[in-house]
Amino acid sequence: MSEINFDEMTSKQMLEYLVAKNMEDARQAKAKGGLVCWSSSIAPCEFCEAMGIYTVYPENHVVGIAARGGAPELLAHAERKGYSNDICGYARVNLAYMDVQKCISEEMPLPDLVLLCNNICETLLKWYENIAHTLNIPLLIVDVPYNHESEVTEENVAYVEAQFKRIIEQLEDITNRPFDYDKFEEVMKIASQNAKDWYDATALCSAVPSPLSGFDMFNYMALIVCMRGKAECGITFRKLKAELEEKAANKICGLKGAEEQHRIMWDGIACWPYLSHTYKVLKNHGVNMVGSTYPSAWALMYTPGDLNGMARAYTSMGNNLSLKGQIDLRESIIRDTKCGGVIMHMNRSCKMCDFLQHEIGEAVTSDMRVPITTFDGDQADPRNYSKAQYETRIEALVEMMNEQKREGGDQ
Amino acid sequence: MLTLGIDIGSASSKAVIMGDGKELVATAVVQAGTGTSGPKRVTAEIFERSGVLPEQISATIATGYGRYGVDMADGQISEITCHAKGVHFLFPAARTILDIGGQDAKAISINENGRVLSFFMNEKCAAGTGRFLEVMARILEIPLSEMGDWDRKSEHPAVVSSTCTVFAESDVISQLSNGARREDVIRGVHNSVISRAMALLYRTHMEPAFVFTGGVAQNSGVVDSLRRELRQEVLVSPQAQLTGAIGAALLAQEKADQKGV
Amino acid sequence: MKRSVNEIIEKLMAVAANPGQAVKAACAKSGKQAVGIVAPYGPEEIAYAAGCLPVGLWGGQVELKRVRAYLPAFACSIMQSVVELAAAGTYDELSAVVIPAPCDTLKCIGQKWKGKCPAIHFTHPMNRKLDCANDYLTFEYQTIRTKLEAILGRKITDEALADAVLFYNHYRAVMREFTLVARDHLATISPIVRHSILKASYFMDKAEYTKDIEDLIYALRRAGPENWNGKRVVLTGITFEPRELLEILEFYHVAVTGDDIAQESRQFRTDAPYHKSPLQSLAAQWQNQQGCSLAFDPFKRRVHDLVDLVRTTQADGLVVGLMKFCDPEEYDVPILMEAFEKAGIPLLCIEVDQQTTAFEQIKTRLQGFVEAL
Repeated sequence: MSEINFDEMTSKQMLEYLVAKNMEDARQAKAKGGLVCWSSSIAPCEFCEAMGIYTVYPENHVVGIAARGGAPELLAHAERKGYSNDICGYARVNLAYMDVQKCISEEMPLPDLVLLCNNICETLLKWYENIAHTLNIPLLIVDVPYNHESEVTEENVAYVEAQFKRIIEQLEDITNRPFDYDKFEEVMKIASQNAKDWYDATALCSAVPSPLSGFDMFNYMALIVCMRGKAECGITFRKLKAELEEKAANKICGLKGAEEQHRIMWDGIACWPYLSHTYKVLKNHGVNMVGSTYPSAWALMYTPGDLNGMARAYTSMGNNLSLKGQIDLRESIIRDTKCGGVIMHMNRSCKMCDFLQHEIGEAVTSDMRVPITTFDGDQADPRNYSKAQYETRIEALVEMMNEQKREGGDQ
Repeated sequence: MLTLGIDIGSASSKAVIMGDGKELVATAVVQAGTGTSGPKRVTAEIFERSGVLPEQISATIATGYGRYGVDMADGQISEITCHAKGVHFLFPAARTILDIGGQDAKAISINENGRVLSFFMNEKCAAGTGRFLEVMARILEIPLSEMGDWDRKSEHPAVVSSTCTVFAESDVISQLSNGARREDVIRGVHNSVISRAMALLYRTHMEPAFVFTGGVAQNSGVVDSLRRELRQEVLVSPQAQLTGAIGAALLAQEKADQKGV
Repeated sequence: MKRSVNEIIEKLMAVAANPGQAVKAACAKSGKQAVGIVAPYGPEEIAYAAGCLPVGLWGGQVELKRVRAYLPAFACSIMQSVVELAAAGTYDELSAVVIPAPCDTLKCIGQKWKGKCPAIHFTHPMNRKLDCANDYLTFEYQTIRTKLEAILGRKITDEALADAVLFYNHYRAVMREFTLVARDHLATISPIVRHSILKASYFMDKAEYTKDIEDLIYALRRAGPENWNGKRVVLTGITFEPRELLEILEFYHVAVTGDDIAQESRQFRTDAPYHKSPLQSLAAQWQNQQGCSLAFDPFKRRVHDLVDLVRTTQADGLVVGLMKFCDPEEYDVPILMEAFEKAGIPLLCIEVDQQTTAFEQIKTRLQGFVEAL
């Protein structure tokens, strides 16, 4: 534990401090011979946490690199090695980093093992295959088969739960110690509480005006990704919730100085290389991004100790749901956060986010009658974005929302 | 009340003066777009032609790629909204718009008031845009303005790739060297443009009436290709290139009305 | 009266050249209904046991029009074709389609099937070496069975399934033998011929097809081994089409001694092992698959297996037919490049695009590669 007094810090200060400390702890542990794990962003962190393994997150690491403009050189390295620029930018940058171990952002120690859960996408299977194969290290996988029907089946959940046993076996093998079930119980309590705290804090986006801009939420997301198994994470989000409640009570808008004229849902991943531009254009139009799939993505709530429930939580994550599930999710987000429009990020790096956009858009338009615009961007590769295109698309969306307001909303 | 609408595209600049949001007082087109002398020239030209003085204009709206470079504009509105408004003015029955300009293409679904319901654009790729036709016309050694006339003569249309301008170029050259008739290749080229456009149109509700706007709509061959593909009537205005500017002028009128000028 | 090599080859090539027609003819002849299995892997045995004709759906050389409304340009070529064909009504004669979900693209496409026939979805487990994977896949297969029964209006008995599993093992063994024998007949079994023979299996009654292959093997053996003084390569990838790619190989006097292609050898390399029930047996077959980019493997045995295949078939090099915009395949390329460089074996990577109409670039690259072999 640290000697820092969290009571005197704002949630933002805690966020910055904790995220940096998390990586520093991992670096120090590695230097002293401790074990480091690279994990996908929504994998069950509970197991490694229980065994005192330091887990760091490549996706999050790349976000830091991309946001600071450091992606191009690593992308070039990956492409020289033969990686097609068709594949995920996170993977290209990370696989390059694995080789060169240098970047514009913080340094991340190489892993002794990797953990992946393919709820967010199947591309992880190949990305992590390559890491494990190249570094010759153990790979832990929680395979959550795609839920192609409208309901998540018991058999899917049972399969996921059964894999937990193998994870435990592998960890005992790697660490040469018996699995710490007591610590595991404790971590499950913390993790499910953190998921709840994350969801409760981000739920304040539903207030009108919203005291939290989605773009700020993107930053807080780093904590739920990297420290979901640690108590400080929940402390930060409870603090954030209190701060937001106060702002909401005073009708303070998350747009910092601008008036909230429109509320929109952002569908997809942030366009990290141009986060500032994408935010500013919206702010200039008085558009507050209040809805997104991020809050629910990490709302992995289950009863601590209930492994079946835990398995169900991980396999039921938004991306792993059928088209119907994904439509329902977005419609409930639009409803709950009272959005008047939707921005869909056609993210060149993420086919999972893109290939159902047409059908989701059609359903949302016809069911919710909100205008939608799409734009071409990328979560990590700065070459796949045009400022002029984004500006035009957003303008058109704002004009559509304005006209719809004028016409009285419903057609 | 006179209002001015200016549409600065990538390949051309258009200006329209409207009276009371009801009649076209004057129009001007210059084949030079944003970043060139086009915008200045088209503004000068429209005032010269109409005899109207700048002070007589109650409001000006600029649209198109170069809309932020027009100093005298009172506001900037996207070409999506402007095209919708302009088409609705010319064709009140319009519900689906296909606009193909010099460098981009868009499909817009509108309602009975000319309000935009949804829109889909392609501006990443030359295939299916005016640029594509320019390249092809050059290879075929036929002026762009005559492509439509040649198309009419085609009896055995060639198939030209719609995936990529470079591939299409190879296709055309290869077919010409194998003795294909120019009118057949031209029709193939026109079909190729429409093939790309259909991708955007299929995403709309495909509700008639269909209106085709933008510079490319002046090419009767492309219009015919669209009619064949849709199996529906396609409306084209002689002012096809001006719909953006008309819409801008109409929106300028709305702005002026709101201000109570 | 045994048929000649040419007779059989002609028959199979005609099937491969005109899949739609072949399927119609096969259905008419057998009275069976056709059930489509979308690439890459699906339990054909279940459709076979149901008394249907399993038809492989691997796209084709079709101009993309309707699909552009549903997918952006960077979806893999094969699935763009499949969606285009589905939207165009080409698959409407099928009684049902079975759609797997081993990659993100297929997950999405399955959810938005544009054809008129009912779609049955399933997902392969990727943690394949665990027993629970068998439980899960068996359940998925059981679900396919139940849904197919409902669509067809008849039961699929355990007996029929057990017979189908055994039969398909026999068919696979015959196919493996064919690829062995083909290595001694590289002139007759040229790249185009080899591909057509393997492709025909997707559009014919399997029993009839297997008989054709058995007869072909016999006829080839009787004819005696051929000499081949040209170059030899192993092909790897999802599919190696369009035909023009194979024509280029033939033009430069290059023969195919073996393949690691999803549409070809990956279908019959692995048998269904004995298990308590036929569906469990089928599930175990997936678990035992090795060397496919879509079958999760942290040890990436595909790399080692390919080096092995090149060496054992005495090939001069490896040609990677990289399916355009196929992520799983793209990730394997750098690993393959590194391994083959270490092994001192030439490797060429060319793009496979079902919509390609221009082949000059590929021709040039292949020529360069062949000259360097």
